[in-house]
Amino acid sequence: MDKSSYLKKISAWDSDAARHVLSRALYGYSRTDIEFALSKSLDDFIDNFLLKDLPEPTSPTYNGAEWVSLENNSTNSPNYSNYRYSLIWWWETLMLQQGYSLREKMVWFYANHFVTEYNTVQVPQYYYLSNKLFRQYAFGNLIELTKKVTIDPAMLVYLNGKDNKNTAPNENYSRELMELFTLGIGNYSEEDIKQAAKALTGWRVNSSTLSPYFTSSRWDSGLKTILGKTGNWNADDVVNIIFSEKAVAASEYLCRKLYKEFAYYQPNEEYVKQLAELMRANNFNLKPVLSTMLKSQYFHSVDIRGAKIKSPIEFLLSLVRFFNLTYDNDLLNQIRTKSRELQQEILNPPDVRGWEGQRKWMNTTVYPTRNKFTDSLVSGIKINGKTYKVDVLTFARTFPSAIPPNENAVQFIEEVTLVLIQFPLSQARKDFLLASLLDGTAVQNWSTYATGASTRLEKFFKALMRLPEFQLS
Amino acid sequence: MKRRDFLKNVGMITGAGAVSLSIGGIPMKAFAKPFMNIQSTNGKILILIQLKGGNDGINTVIPLDQYSAYANYRPTIKILDTSVVKLTDATGLHPALQQFQTLYSEGKLTLVQNVGYASPNRSHFRATDIWLSASDSNQYLYDGWVARYLLKTFPTFPGTPPTHPMGIQLISVPSGLFDSNDGGLAVNFNDPNAFYTLVNGLTADNDPSPATIAGDELKFLKEVAALSMQYAGVIKEKADKGNPTSTYPTSRLGPQLKIVADLILGGLETPVYLTQLDGFDTHSNQLTTQQTLFQNLADSVVAFQRDIEKAGLADKVVIMTFSEFGRRVKENASVGTDHGAALPLFVIGKSVQGGIIGANANLSSLDGNGDIKFAYDYRQIYTSILKDHFGMTTVEVKDILLKDFTTLPILKPTTDIHDYDSVPTEFSLAQNYPNPFNPATTIQYTIPARVKEPVPSSFRDETANVTLKVYDVLGNEIATLVDQSQHAGKYQVRFDGSRLASGTYIYTLRTNSYTQTKKMLLVK
Repeated sequence: MDKSSYLKKISAWDSDAARHVLSRALYGYSRTDIEFALSKSLDDFIDNFLLKDLPEPTSPTYNGAEWVSLENNSTNSPNYSNYRYSLIWWWETLMLQQGYSLREKMVWFYANHFVTEYNTVQVPQYYYLSNKLFRQYAFGNLIELTKKVTIDPAMLVYLNGKDNKNTAPNENYSRELMELFTLGIGNYSEEDIKQAAKALTGWRVNSSTLSPYFTSSRWDSGLKTILGKTGNWNADDVVNIIFSEKAVAASEYLCRKLYKEFAYYQPNEEYVKQLAELMRANNFNLKPVLSTMLKSQYFHSVDIRGAKIKSPIEFLLSLVRFFNLTYDNDLLNQIRTKSRELQQEILNPPDVRGWEGQRKWMNTTVYPTRNKFTDSLVSGIKINGKTYKVDVLTFARTFPSAIPPNENAVQFIEEVTLVLIQFPLSQARKDFLLASLLDGTAVQNWSTYATGASTRLEKFFKALMRLPEFQLS
Repeated sequence: MKRRDFLKNVGMITGAGAVSLSIGGIPMKAFAKPFMNIQSTNGKILILIQLKGGNDGINTVIPLDQYSAYANYRPTIKILDTSVVKLTDATGLHPALQQFQTLYSEGKLTLVQNVGYASPNRSHFRATDIWLSASDSNQYLYDGWVARYLLKTFPTFPGTPPTHPMGIQLISVPSGLFDSNDGGLAVNFNDPNAFYTLVNGLTADNDPSPATIAGDELKFLKEVAALSMQYAGVIKEKADKGNPTSTYPTSRLGPQLKIVADLILGGLETPVYLTQLDGFDTHSNQLTTQQTLFQNLADSVVAFQRDIEKAGLADKVVIMTFSEFGRRVKENASVGTDHGAALPLFVIGKSVQGGIIGANANLSSLDGNGDIKFAYDYRQIYTSILKDHFGMTTVEVKDILLKDFTTLPILKPTTDIHDYDSVPTEFSLAQNYPNPFNPATTIQYTIPARVKEPVPSSFRDETANVTLKVYDVLGNEIATLVDQSQHAGKYQVRFDGSRLASGTYIYTLRTNSYTQTKKMLLVK
């Protein structure tokens, strides 16, 4: 593909394009969702649905009780693990119920960019506040968001901003702000980190109001030279200086992160450069950048489609959406623990870089664990006396080729894999799937109404979800 | 070696009829080709313990000779001199490392001071990558140094995979240490039995993947599946046989080292294990954090060492700790320390020389950042391990570490090369293995000690000028594999014929007094 076409809009808004966008923008989708997307124009669907600003959701509760604005103190802390669970279930629910919106994917993107670890911070109220902040800025301005994150309570605790004071600066946040949140390594010096650490001093968290506050006596008011600029800088100034003095580096670094999240883990630097130019032209407002990316020819190229290894959360939640499973907190909790087993513990990334994703999602234990889980969902998972199970017959009959008198096993494979699998399947794979679907019956006799149809379908769906192709999005 | 043939050789043929086999259901003979025996290693094992987050070296090894300077830098987080565990009058350990003093007094612990590299990087991630890939500060390498070692030791991988895993990591996220251009080389799991049960029923196939970016990812997934299937069986079998009796800590490093002991005692011949102890990024609250971690480290390591000793395997196994960087000498305002540079590390085992290499960190000569300057390049430690533990030659080590580094007297010289009982008594040039080969093969030869009895203390200085060259049948020189003076010992070199046509090639070993030639066959 010619580089000059990278950012150009794709010409055909067809089923393959729609599946690709849905698989990267949502946590699972159905046949109806593909049809809905195609009933709109590309511009309409991306700009007026995926990137539409939505009202803020109501805050989470635990057993019906409010907790997000409770003081952070020892009276409340015994309930924190319950609050944390309720926050996670609430978040999972938002991801499942978001409709045609990119917002929740952006919340994840930010949570894995401006990383904090619950195990270190241990205050669920702060996590609610970060989550809310990320949602507010889902398609917003990255400079403003970076300023807010700098004094976000969870961040002030996690990277020791609250301990950073004029008498003995703590460099933890200063370093990661430049290395991981804005510029990337190589665009600043050790001295810049030390100087910026001084400018960032003075902020603390009020545990009653759950808000950050500034104590001028803890702030280093002297002259600081950051990225070549000298002044008596404060925290906002640091962010402004980074984005103005290093606009190219910052825009390219952030577009590279977006690319890794939405396209592929090894960035195409030329594409990143072009997208970064657009980001700078829009003064770091994300909406036009995201819009262009999701419509762009390179994003839709054969290299990118089906090339992303699903994160555990994408993998697990999309199962619920694919099969339209009925869920409640018990299943959401099962997903929480399973996700942890698959190396993505919600609210607890491994370190300040966050999850690296893609190939790091896979190892010799995780891979078979994913297979076992899809197996068990087809067979039925029992939690607290209730069974959560894919209703294979009902699901199969949502496809036209399973409806008498038009039953057609070969066509059925096509229709099902079009929804469940992004990767282009080889003929050998399709033959394999057909063989496991038929399981000995003659192809012309295949019917979801035949004796034993349900058992055969269960085997088929297990085999399908065990394919390595199913791990790709 | 561009394309990997690993999948093909796993022998899990899934044709159009798609038969999926599980490792639980099939015996090894069902595999398409016999696997190469792991014994292309010298039987030695390396356990790496990664202290993740950047371990504060100055509170690990306390410079008692500069105690007041140390205490001035660290008014709130200093280790009291009364509680320091002394190794010498000048040098002491953190009190939670008490048991390391025991190992030290038994001559089983070598402490290497001030390890680092030029232009140290203070990013966790970049610094970790530097340590894992053995690169210079400004050099970006994709593959891990251990991966490069393994590919040299197992020249027929991925064509013929060894019977035991080449590497095992007891951590959840695959480490760059084992990343190679031929894929990840290590298996990871938390529990051998659970792993076996899990893998039972897994499928793999050699359906070709399309030549796209997405196709590469599919191929990667298939390889992960194949690795799991291939090794779950032997891992369980060896774990069932092993029977460690020490008491290990039940969290953090303890369970990891217990599994390693279990596998080694059971007879697994995997040469490299990676374990990890996380939490050393002590920007705040350093005292209690480091105390907890060190207690866990010392308890786990000593339990492991005793198990290995009881089993009579202590000669084989060496443990090395490492961390991405040390920490700032001056404490920060949060009872912690920020990112620094050089730091000490430990090499532990029966085959170490024991003692302390290097002087204490010099607190009156810090770098411009207020950090400790390095005295030894971290790759000198790797060099010492590769040569003196794994018995690799200078040429091989240079291929692995990409530069020559001098060794440090960390380990007793390797048995293979320097133990006089097994010092070769004559020249020999072995038939290459495998043969025929494609594309790489290994050639072994021996250089004898000139004086056999009695063994002179200086026999390591006995050297011969050695060349090993490859020619085609017309006598044209194709490659020089060795051209240097070498000590007495057994050597092996790898020959890669990737860029050559199929056919017969000749290799010749020449020394001052000896010449021998053999043929080998490259079949593509």
